[in-house]
Parts: sequence; structure tokens; C-alpha cells
Amino acid sequence: MTAVFALPPHVPPPGTAALRSEIRSFIAANLPAGDAVSRANSWSVADAGFSRALGAAGWLGMVWPRAWGGHERPAMDRYVVLEELLAAGAPVGAHWIADRQTGPLLLRYGTDAQRQKYLPGMARGEVYACIGLSEPGAGSDLAAVRSRAEKVPGGWRINGQKLWTSGAHRAHAMLALLRSEAGSERGAGLSQFLIDLDTPGITIRPVINLTGEHDFNELFFDDVMVGDDALVGGQGNGWAQVTAELALERSGPERYLSSHALLVTLIDAARASGSENAALRATIGKLVAELWTLRQMSMATAAKLAGGEDPVVEAAIVKDLGNDFEQRLPLAVQAVLDLDLDGSTELVRVLSHLLQVSPSFSLRGGTREILRGIIARGLGLR
Amino acid sequence: MSELRAQVVATAQALFAAAPDWPAIVAAGFPLLLVPESAGGFGGDWGDAFAVLQVAGAEALAQPLAEAMLAAHLIARAGVVAPHGLVTIGSGGGTIRAGKFTGHVAAVPWGRVAAQVVATIETNAAEPVLLLLPAGAVTEGASPAGEPRDRLDYRGVPAVRLGDADHALYGAFLRVGQSAGALGAALGLATAHVNARVQFGKPLAKLQAVQQSLAVLAEEVAAVQMAGAAAAAALDRSGGAYEMMAAKLRTNMAIHRGVALAHQVHGAIGFTQDYPLHRLTRRLMGWRSDFGGDSWAEMLGEQALSERGAGLWADMVRRGDG
Ligand SMILES: Cc1cc2nc3c(=O)[nH]c(=O)nc-3n(C[C@H](O)[C@H](O)[C@H](O)COP(=O)(O)OP(=O)(O)OC[C@H]3O[C@@H](n4cnc5c(N)ncnc54)[C@H](O)[C@@H]3O)c2cc1C
Repeated sequence: MTAVFALPPHVPPPGTAALRSEIRSFIAANLPAGDAVSRANSWSVADAGFSRALGAAGWLGMVWPRAWGGHERPAMDRYVVLEELLAAGAPVGAHWIADRQTGPLLLRYGTDAQRQKYLPGMARGEVYACIGLSEPGAGSDLAAVRSRAEKVPGGWRINGQKLWTSGAHRAHAMLALLRSEAGSERGAGLSQFLIDLDTPGITIRPVINLTGEHDFNELFFDDVMVGDDALVGGQGNGWAQVTAELALERSGPERYLSSHALLVTLIDAARASGSENAALRATIGKLVAELWTLRQMSMATAAKLAGGEDPVVEAAIVKDLGNDFEQRLPLAVQAVLDLDLDGSTELVRVLSHLLQVSPSFSLRGGTREILRGIIARGLGLR
Repeated sequence: MSELRAQVVATAQALFAAAPDWPAIVAAGFPLLLVPESAGGFGGDWGDAFAVLQVAGAEALAQPLAEAMLAAHLIARAGVVAPHGLVTIGSGGGTIRAGKFTGHVAAVPWGRVAAQVVATIETNAAEPVLLLLPAGAVTEGASPAGEPRDRLDYRGVPAVRLGDADHALYGAFLRVGQSAGALGAALGLATAHVNARVQFGKPLAKLQAVQQSLAVLAEEVAAVQMAGAAAAAALDRSGGAYEMMAAKLRTNMAIHRGVALAHQVHGAIGFTQDYPLHRLTRRLMGWRSDFGGDSWAEMLGEQALSERGAGLWADMVRRGDG
């Protein structure tokens, strides 16, 4: 019998119910009134006020040391808070990257000076980060990164271009993967730099997405000068560090809960209109079964990560199944309800939105094919 | 895994791999796994049952172990003294007058050799009843995998009432256990096959399309294993109805997707009697219908629709929080 996911179910510890009601009270008191479309876009919607309120209440940097503004809570407490925020469709986009991956990466690889500079602000919900991986010539093939950092006295000179950078126009800093060794190839000679986005020589231009929204960007470095203190972790160690960062990026509950609002809205609409029927019940029942299973898989994976292990294959499995689930969700709604897609009701607006954006779910954060390649490697096939 | 469970699993592995007959399985005590020690049983929990049935599924054990395990559990739960011989399980309809049952039980696994049957029976009353019945008049039938699925007819036989008629839910969970094992074993066969089979001058395993197919199969195996383990954990905490329904539904989806992929990467060899894949996949396909197939979806859906949309999430997480 072959097992690539031999994880025990995670059993939330005593006190979880109390924690859950605490964060729910916070959400009830602070969630901005918004259309369900915004709730169906949860971790892409930035609301600095909401992020600051979260920070003030101690819900950001939850697992980080107190010395850096954190709260030293167990990692699985943070998981509970994340899933509640996502299930409620809270606008967590502003701080999401900093809290999820940039902060933890600084804790793992950064210097005390870097931690002091960024972490307290991130934990307050005031300092935001973006992910500088993709470039015009480096998408799935991330090792093809060409943007470069050249060693000069007292620091580094940076030139090149990043692309598809979500939230760069709102972020204070970018964690960028750059070629720090001239002439190096592939994964060798890459380093990570944390670059303040107000540094002279940086140009950020919007890339408008297919729905007309400004979410991602292109970013140019023209002779950007940064100090030695911008280098994060080991010089030339960027590839290994990015791999660790991607596990953080792929293992969270956002990979199956990002469009939960559609399910919520569907149920409310069906109850209000009395359009319940056997097909609708069966469809919802199957979706519930998938959602429940995904949650179990996601929790088990997060618990492995919390235990200090690196669940690369498990995270890829959860993300791929989660993406697939979320891409079928709007189609399942179309299959059971005949709706005029005229934007006139909340359900129709959420559905219309997800019909357009759901193809991106299996692109962002690593494509379906790349994830399946990782799983195949776990099976020993490559 | 507890030491006890590891031991039970190791015993199961050694025994089931040898294609044991039924007396050998009885002698090893497996049918009494879910019977409390106080009632002369093994005192295992649902997690143990899930683990043992995964082994049974992986080894394509052609014996009514899941059925006998559940029947023994339900009999013990009702405080009734366990009968001798194979007790299997089924559903049917009929009437009960003065403690005597007239009617039938359909598609009973191994009905032809059962000494007794635990059966959920629809009568004219609103709720079905769970009965312990003797052997009946047999009309033989077969599952897609060629296992006995027999109709038993009764005329005025003594029937013992056993309590809540919820056996289908537990039966569904036990099929999840077998399916988790069988689908995992199908992945194992598929992986070995694509490494060994050469086309275009290299092993199939080196072709990306094949790799991606097996990745998807592995995802489905993971989903079933997780769903089953989580349902077992819920049962061991108490309750578990919701989780059993969800796990069976997810398993049915995984079989749909997974069996097709396992066969696809095997090519024609997987379609032969000699090659062992069909021992797993024919059973898997049949298990999708056993103990409530996709019909559980309507029940889960109805539950979700009985509350506001936000209640769906609250209800799901409340069950695990303890
Ligand atoms: C909404 C959104 C937000 C994003 N945000 C960010 C961000 O904040 N920061 C950032 O750095 N990036 C971001 N990205 C970029 C994202 O990481 C890339 O889109 C992704 O890595 C794929 O790269 P690509 O778009 O160049 O596609 P390509 O790599 O050109 O791939 C195109 C297709 O070919 C397939 N393909 C490529 N290579 C292989 C292979 N070896 N085997 C099989 N199939 C293959 C891919 O799977 C895909 O289906 C974002 C993308 C989206 C859609």
C-alpha cells in the first residue's frame, strides 16, 4: 500500500472552542459591511484598517517571539484564526503575505536588525510585504530568474524586473529572489533580498487583471542601491530559502476556503427563495463532504509544519485538491440553479465573479502541473 | 499509532496476505475487534477497525470481515449474547407480528453461508427497525467483484430487536476503510507497473502525462485515507454520523477518479484476469453502491440547508473542537 499522505488527523486541543469564539467576536465587531463579492475574494482584498485592528487585537504575528512584537502562541492557534477569518470572508489581503511568509522567513533566516526593523510593524498590521519571484522569463521555471544584485562597496546594486507581483502597490517591502552571482545558472547563485519599495530606482506599474481590477503589478529595478542589510539569509542560499517559503505559501487554509462565500450565499439564497430540491441538496452535500475532507487534510498538513517538518508533498496535494474544489464550485452552482447572470442578486454577483477568477487558482502559488510534478517526485517517479 | 494497533495491523497483514479462509480469520479474533472486552470481544476502537480494514482492502480479502465486525458490534451494543457462526448484515422489508418476521433481506454479503443476519428492516412503521434474524431461504446473487450478495426470504421466523437502525452509516464507514486500502494498493501496483513497463525506449514513469496521472491518483488516495482516519477519530470521540457520511461521499468521488486512472496507466494488462488490479478495482467500483452510495449527499445537504449559510462552517468546525 502506497502512502504519500500518512498524516494522523489533527485534533484541536482543549481551548480551541474558546479561541474560536474570541476571534469570531472580533470579526463580528470589526468586519466591514461589504458585498459578498468582497467576501469571496477574501485574501485578495486589502483593508489597512482591518489589518491594523487585527494587529492591535493580537491576531497577527501570533507565533512570533514577543521580542519582535509577536505573541508566542502555538502555530495551530494561528491556524484557527486564519480559518475563521477566511470562512467569514474578512479582508485580510493587506497583511496576508507578511504574516504568512515574509515574517516567518525573517525569523528563520534574518538578522536581529532585520527582525527589529520589520517584524513589530508587521505584527501591528502596518507593514506589508509582497512576493518577488516571477519575472517575464521565469514563471514555473523559477530558476530562470535573471534580475540581478551586484556587490558594490557598502551594499548591492539591483537591476531587473519582477512580474505578477500581487499587492506591490500597497506593500512596503518586497522579498525578492535575485541572481547575486554574475554568470551563475539555475538554482545556484541566487539570494533573497528584502527591499524597501520606496528606494529610489523602483518603478511599480499596475497590470490590470481580466476583471478590470488592479491586483498584480510589474516592478522595475533600475540601479537600485540597497545596503548589505537587505540580504536575507545566506548569500547564494536563495533557492533553498525559497523552497521553504513556498511550503508556507502552499499549506494554508486559503487554498480551499478562498471562495467559501459562494457556498454560504448559495445556501442563504436557496432558503430565501424556497428553491430547494433534491439536486441542490445532493450538490451541497457532496461539496460539504469535500470541504470537510480538505479541512482535515489542510489541518493535518499545518500540524506537520507546526511540528518543524517540511510537508512539501502534502502541501502540494492540499493545494491541488483545494484549487480543483474551488474551481468546480461555481460550475456546481450553475448545474443546479438556472440563474440570469445580470448582477441583480448577491448570489449572482458572487457566482459571476468566481466564474471569471477561478481559473487563476491553479496558477497562483504554483501551477497545477508544477504541483503534480512535486507529488510525482514524492512517488519516486522523477 | 498505538502499540496495540500496530500489533493488530501487523497480524492482519501477515494473515490477510495469505488469502485465509473464514475460520482462520475467526480464530485470529478479527470479527470481534469492535466488541468490548466485557462482552468477550477484543475491545478495539474505530481507529483500529479502520486500520485493519485498510489492510483487508489492500489485500483484496475475499471474506465478509467488515460485515461480521459490524454485526458483532451492533449485537454487543444491544446487549444481546453473540450467536455462533458467521453473522452478516443487510437491509430489507417486511412485517413483524408477535415477534415473528415475514419478509426479505436483499443483497446480503455471504448470505448463503451466514448463520444469522443483522438487518435494517422497513415496516409500515415510520422508522425502520434493526433485527437479528436466522438464516433465510437463499436466492443467490453476486456483486460486481463476484462476491456473494444473496437475497434471504423469511416466513414467520423469530426476530430479536437490536435497537437503532443505523447500521448503514457504520457500514459506509467500514467500506471507506476497505477503499482506502484498496485504492492505496492500486496506486502501489500502478507505480510499480509504470516503472517496469518500457515504451518509446524508456519506462512509462518518465513520461510526464503518466506522472501527472499518478499524482492525481495519489491525491485521491490521500483524500480517502484522511477522510477515513478523521471519521474514525470522530467516532472514537463520540458521534460521527456527519463524518461517516462525508467520508463515504468523498470516497465515492475518489473511486470514480482513482480507479479510472489506475487502469489507464496500466493499459491492457490491467484488464486481464491474471493481473491483480481487478481484485482491487472491481471491489472498489461495487463498494460505491454499498451502504448508501451518493444518497448520503442529500442528507448532508439537507442538514446544511436547515441553517443559514454561515452555519455550515460553524457546524463543521464545532464537531472537531471538543
Ligand atoms: C492572480 C495571480 C497572482 C500572482 N501573484 C504573484 C506574486 O505575488 N508574486 C509572484 O512572484 N508571482 C505571482 N504570480 C505568478 C505565478 O506564480 C505564475 O503565474 C506561475 O508560477 C506560473 O508562471 P507563468 O504564469 O509564467 O506560466 P508558465 O510557467 O509559462 O506556464 C504556463 C503553463 O505551462 C505549464 N508548464 C510550465 N512548465 C511546465 C512543466 N515543466 N511541465 C508541465 N507544464 C508546465 C504551466 O503549468 C502552465 O499551465 C501570480 C499569478 C497569478 C495568476
